[in-house]
Amino acid sequence: MTAVLEARGLAKRYRRGVWALGGIDLELPAGGITALVGPNAAGKSTLLKTWVGFEKPTRGSAAVMGLDPWRQRSQALANLGYVPQSPALYDGLSVDDHLDLAVQLRPGFDRAHARERLDQLGIPRGAGARNLSGGQQAQVSLALALGTRAPILLLDEPLASLDPLARREFLHVLTDAVRDGGATTLLSSHIVTDVEQSCDRLIVLGVGQVLLHDTVANAMASHAISTSDRADAIAAFAAPDGSRIWLVRGAGDRPATLDEVVLGYLASARTSSAVAA
Amino acid sequence: MTAALTWGRLGFRQQRWELILVALGVAATAIAMLWFASQLNGLRAASPGCVPPAAAEFGSCEAALNAYSQIEGLADNMLLLSFGAPFGIGVLLGAPLIAREIDAGTAQLAWSIGRSRVSWLLRRIAFIALFVVVALGVLAVTSEILAAALAPERNLGSDFAWFGRRGWLIVARGLGALMLGMLVGALIGRVLPAILAAALVMALVFTGLSFAQDRWQEGLTETHRMNYSEAGSYLDSGALVINTGLELASGEVVTWSELNERGLEVSYVDEQGRLFASEQDMQDGNLLGYDVEFAIPGARYAGVVAAVGAASVGVGLLALGLTAVVVGRRRPV
Repeated sequence: MTAVLEARGLAKRYRRGVWALGGIDLELPAGGITALVGPNAAGKSTLLKTWVGFEKPTRGSAAVMGLDPWRQRSQALANLGYVPQSPALYDGLSVDDHLDLAVQLRPGFDRAHARERLDQLGIPRGAGARNLSGGQQAQVSLALALGTRAPILLLDEPLASLDPLARREFLHVLTDAVRDGGATTLLSSHIVTDVEQSCDRLIVLGVGQVLLHDTVANAMASHAISTSDRADAIAAFAAPDGSRIWLVRGAGDRPATLDEVVLGYLASARTSSAVAA
Repeated sequence: MTAALTWGRLGFRQQRWELILVALGVAATAIAMLWFASQLNGLRAASPGCVPPAAAEFGSCEAALNAYSQIEGLADNMLLLSFGAPFGIGVLLGAPLIAREIDAGTAQLAWSIGRSRVSWLLRRIAFIALFVVVALGVLAVTSEILAAALAPERNLGSDFAWFGRRGWLIVARGLGALMLGMLVGALIGRVLPAILAAALVMALVFTGLSFAQDRWQEGLTETHRMNYSEAGSYLDSGALVINTGLELASGEVVTWSELNERGLEVSYVDEQGRLFASEQDMQDGNLLGYDVEFAIPGARYAGVVAAVGAASVGVGLLALGLTAVVVGRRRPV
């Protein structure tokens, strides 16, 4: 297994003394779509921004195809396409202007590929960015990232501000593009149900630590829900009906959904940080 | 060509209102300067015996002289605008250049698609820098035309009159100010605070440069004995007088403040510019020294302008280099 994205003891502390990442170790293999899920302030954005070269690690290291994104930024960026949390388009420029700009900024930018994606979605290329809906702006950001033809795509919560229909359309386009192009994709989100259908792998991040890293299929197959407390339970949390349920490894009272797997690990992180405190 | 259009379009769209404001301000100032120059030239042509005032015959020239002096005063004030314009434009166009990209989050897009932030920075600034050169170039030319109309009898190519308020020094200062403003904007990353901070930094840096320029110019001065009995008592009419002082009888040259520090006083000056400590000394011919000026000859005007302009551009290039470092290391939001 060749890792395209790596983190070794990666820690990041911001100026106010807040640790966003607490020394994580992670290797992401090539291919497929990986969901990076976790609550707000779990460190998802910080992790992605470290790989893009926007954040310098306080400790440890990060690598993109074996390249240090801080010291070898140019070479590392050549392998990356990035979609930021909120679409950061130039208000005064049209969609086509953005594609022109991308051609100037990135040698080898595939304008035709990006245009094709936008045309399929019926996004008017002559329209000003400020006149596009949130969903359309996210699609333009994705088209720009896809146009780079980079082997790795990093998407930093692009779904957060979209309505359910726009979210579904975005994921559909992303899945198609990734299946066609074969780019390794890391999609961060705090909405588990959105990524469940699209992603092959799952990373659960909480309080700056990797809590779970597995394939989606394996994560679901290897966990279950117990309706009573067990010594080997990972954590307890509230079910939608208010009752208390426990996430366990192996057999339980019923199979766990992906949402429950994620919730269980997030609850375990909360419990351990409370105990530590 | 396509690349230039793309970056030009981005530069214009990002700073549309500032660019329009600067273009209108420069156009209005340039038109006003040309109008004042034509008025001054017109008055001179219409009343050759009265204007300029030195040629006036008393009594018959009152109306022409009044009109001339009124326009001359306003024209002189117009040249103050060309002194302040480079700094104002530097703040207005330089500070938001990078700050707006960071503020609006668009730096994330540019810095993740582009592989080199330095290359992005250089292309990003090119259009605005070109605009500043053209806009201030217009002011440089029109300010020279106005100065020539104010003093047609002087050769302004070797004359320190309106030094820093005309000619290409305006453009050089504008480029320096633009890049300094850009550095402040890149550091702060918020448009309005960057504009305010850039104004403050600009005042501090260019005041510091002005002090350094004064010290440097002192080294260029020539000492010239004043003679009040002659019409041309100064080194030359285009000279830049930096200081005045005394040449003591011993041959030592001192400034007035140095003389005071020594407890010496000058009580009498005769028409030849000779100085005496007391009336008795003057009667006895007991000479203290000569009244002198320390001035840079007008012939050195072009050299001084080139050096001061180079210093301004040098500060700008230093600021550009620091901006590249800041842009290379900072977060895009």
